[in-house]
Amino acid sequence: MTTLHIVDDDEAIRDALGWLFQSRNVPVAGWPSAEAFLEAWRPEMAGCLLLDIRMEGMSGLELFDRLLSRGCRMPVIFLTGHGDVPIAVNALKKGARDFVEKPFNDNELVDRVIDALAFDAEQREREAGQAGLAARLATLTQRERQVMELVVAGRLNKVIADELGISMRTVEVHRSHVFEKMRVKTAVELTRLLTGAA
Amino acid sequence: MPLPYRNSGSAAPPSSRSGRAVPHAMPLVAMALVVVLLGAFLWLLQRNERDEEALALIKDALWVEQNLHFQLASDEDKLERLAETLGRTEVDLRQFAAMARLVVNTNPAIERVLWLDAQGRTMLAEPPLPRDGTPGADGPPDDSLTRNDAMRIARSSGLRAYGPPYRIDATDRGFDVAFPLFRDGAFVGALVGVFSFEAMLTHHVPWWFAQRYQLEVIDVTGTVLGAKSRMVVPGSMAGPAPDPARSHVIPFDPPGHGLALVATAYPSDSNVTRTVLVAAIFALTGSALWSLWSLRRHIAGRLRAEEALREEHAFRKAMEDSLTVGMRARDLEGRITYVNPAFCRMVGLEPEALVGCGPPMPYWLPEEIDRAEAALQDVLAGRAPETGLEMRFRRANGERFDALIYEAPLIDANGRQTGWMGSVLDITERKHAEELARQQQERLQQTSRLITMGEMASTLAHELNQPLSAIASYCTGCLNRLRSGRFDTDEVAAALEKLAAQAKRAGQVVRRIHDFVRKRDPNVAPCSLAQVLEDCVGLTGADAARLGVRVELDAPADLPPVTGDRILLQQVVLNLMRNGIEAMARTPRGDRRLTVTVRQEGGSDGAGDGVLLTEIRDRGCGVAPDMAERLFSPFFTTKREGMGMGLNICRSIVEHHRGRLWFEPVAADGGPDDASAGTRFLFTLPVHAQPSGRISDQSAEAAE
Repeated sequence: MTTLHIVDDDEAIRDALGWLFQSRNVPVAGWPSAEAFLEAWRPEMAGCLLLDIRMEGMSGLELFDRLLSRGCRMPVIFLTGHGDVPIAVNALKKGARDFVEKPFNDNELVDRVIDALAFDAEQREREAGQAGLAARLATLTQRERQVMELVVAGRLNKVIADELGISMRTVEVHRSHVFEKMRVKTAVELTRLLTGAA
Repeated sequence: MPLPYRNSGSAAPPSSRSGRAVPHAMPLVAMALVVVLLGAFLWLLQRNERDEEALALIKDALWVEQNLHFQLASDEDKLERLAETLGRTEVDLRQFAAMARLVVNTNPAIERVLWLDAQGRTMLAEPPLPRDGTPGADGPPDDSLTRNDAMRIARSSGLRAYGPPYRIDATDRGFDVAFPLFRDGAFVGALVGVFSFEAMLTHHVPWWFAQRYQLEVIDVTGTVLGAKSRMVVPGSMAGPAPDPARSHVIPFDPPGHGLALVATAYPSDSNVTRTVLVAAIFALTGSALWSLWSLRRHIAGRLRAEEALREEHAFRKAMEDSLTVGMRARDLEGRITYVNPAFCRMVGLEPEALVGCGPPMPYWLPEEIDRAEAALQDVLAGRAPETGLEMRFRRANGERFDALIYEAPLIDANGRQTGWMGSVLDITERKHAEELARQQQERLQQTSRLITMGEMASTLAHELNQPLSAIASYCTGCLNRLRSGRFDTDEVAAALEKLAAQAKRAGQVVRRIHDFVRKRDPNVAPCSLAQVLEDCVGLTGADAARLGVRVELDAPADLPPVTGDRILLQQVVLNLMRNGIEAMARTPRGDRRLTVTVRQEGGSDGAGDGVLLTEIRDRGCGVAPDMAERLFSPFFTTKREGMGMGLNICRSIVEHHRGRLWFEPVAADGGPDDASAGTRFLFTLPVHAQPSGRISDQSAEAAE
């Protein structure tokens, strides 16, 4: 479930943006202050952040810094008012995804947010995939791992059997186990999976 | 009287002390020599005189001794003749007594004549011995013995014999002279003459001798037997005692027996006179020495004073040479009598060119001669300002400088005023620094205004962005729903209401800003536009002077008043004038001229009272055509430090006063090919309407 988190101390802005994003079917959660969001944040929280720079209490930039230090990788879009552009550019260099100057072209903002949400979903999926691969690799035995490396290197079963000093039959059994455990059907698929992980 | 400034050092070389001491000692030495020689001369004189006196004393003493001898001899002759008479015949006693009396009476030195027989008994005494006593009762006990001695000697020698001195009565001493009497060869007695020393001296020493010497007869033991001294005039004081140092002793022989004559000289009268003379001479010498000494002291004091004066002069000179303040003394007619080096450096002229110079001074500015002359007259009349007078002067090389002058009366030693002393400070740097500080202050104010403005604009933008963003979001959200066709009318209506609320919020922000900017209502009242313009010319004076711009105001005296806020109108005129002045930065210096003209227009054609048309014309770079369109748009500026508010606000103010503000380029006076010869800004203001004036006055009061 991916959500747009709007952090802005102006209730009208939160409400108006909520109205706007709902018209484009983007789920929205509003936070009245940086502190409130920081409190609620969890690493598994998915989606995108729309941060106002100038706020009562903690500023948007400070919240961004805190989140970065806690390992948050959600894309962040800054909303800037008059005269905040240099600050926003600086934030971009630190890894913010985008900034939008007020007053904004609303549908363009929505498009950017949707992009960011998609990016986040993709990023999470990729991370989730990588986490599965590592788990699957962990189930392999020593011998299976050796066989797998040689398969990925493009060796034939016979060559593998020679190199490892085992029978063709044994290689085939290991090979089928590797494919099964790695949930792939062909050697090409396995190679792609491993190189992609690398 | 101050000494004229001289460049060359004129201090005399200090004379050496030893060199001065020699001529100083000369009169003293001469004086001492005179005293010594005089003393020597007097001493010599004294010695000569003493020698002479001693010689005279001896001569006189010898003479008197001889005289006494002669007298004694003469007396003895008489006694001898008497003795012969006794020896020759039987003597008639009475006759003899008469003869003896005659001898005694005619020879005062002979006190008594005695005729003794061979046994020494007194046969006859003339004058007769007193009857009441034995012979010798009134003499010493050995009276007859001494007499007998003399008689014996006379008898044995057959010659006269002298007896030793003895006391013959209470006051007198004398001696005996015995003549032996032989009758027919047999000793029959002796004739004795008793001589009195006193009588001898009294009668045989002349008065002049007694006047000069004291003559005494002394015996072996030094006892005075008789004396003759100066006659003392009764009633006068006793004369000086004889000088024992000047005496001469001659043995008195006969009568012998160790008797001696002592002549002692009296101090002579001439001695006293001479002592007085010498004393007078010494007194004179002393007084000469004293006067010499006091003269020397006087000279030394004078030398010290001269030295002190020289040092003082050197000190003063060093002081005035080291001064950076220019000093200038003038006499009562205003002619320069003295200048110090600092003043010469200041005006770049030699002292010779300045001293004696009368007004107009060479350092006066040609265009300010009248002012300088007036200032000089003020000073001469004693009306110089105590806080100093600021003037602009000219150096010899044409450079100009600002001077601050303080004047003080110049009083001479007698307390009379002889002129005026002025100290001149070059304050060009100071003035420059003041001007710089003023500009900096102005720039600072401008910057601070700019910062305030920037902050305000930033806040304004933020405050407005919030509702505007919300409005845009509501709006887009509504549109998205409307387009998609999937919407709930109530929902959209609620969103639109929220949108309207945000629009109202934006409006409130704008109103708040407006309230903040317009802190007070204009103070509308009839006011003189000419006065406003004059004030503005005064206020821009410093800026204009800095850029060398001449500002000319042409305002008729009989202008009617306008209705308006004096301060706001001043802001308009000041702004336009500053723009004009700054526009002429690249105009040749001689052409920098800002003309402010005001005229009444209209009013005669029945359209109210007409308007006042003010024209502010510069000779600057003009307004480029592409700028002309945007000149009045907000936040447009041609200046680096400008905010682009000025002209826009000016126009707002003028329009608020029901007037109009515009500008026109001015074609070059000489050639039409010149793009522009400056710009003129014009604005109109309606003349204050008399009947409604009371109402607007009231409203103005109400506003206050």
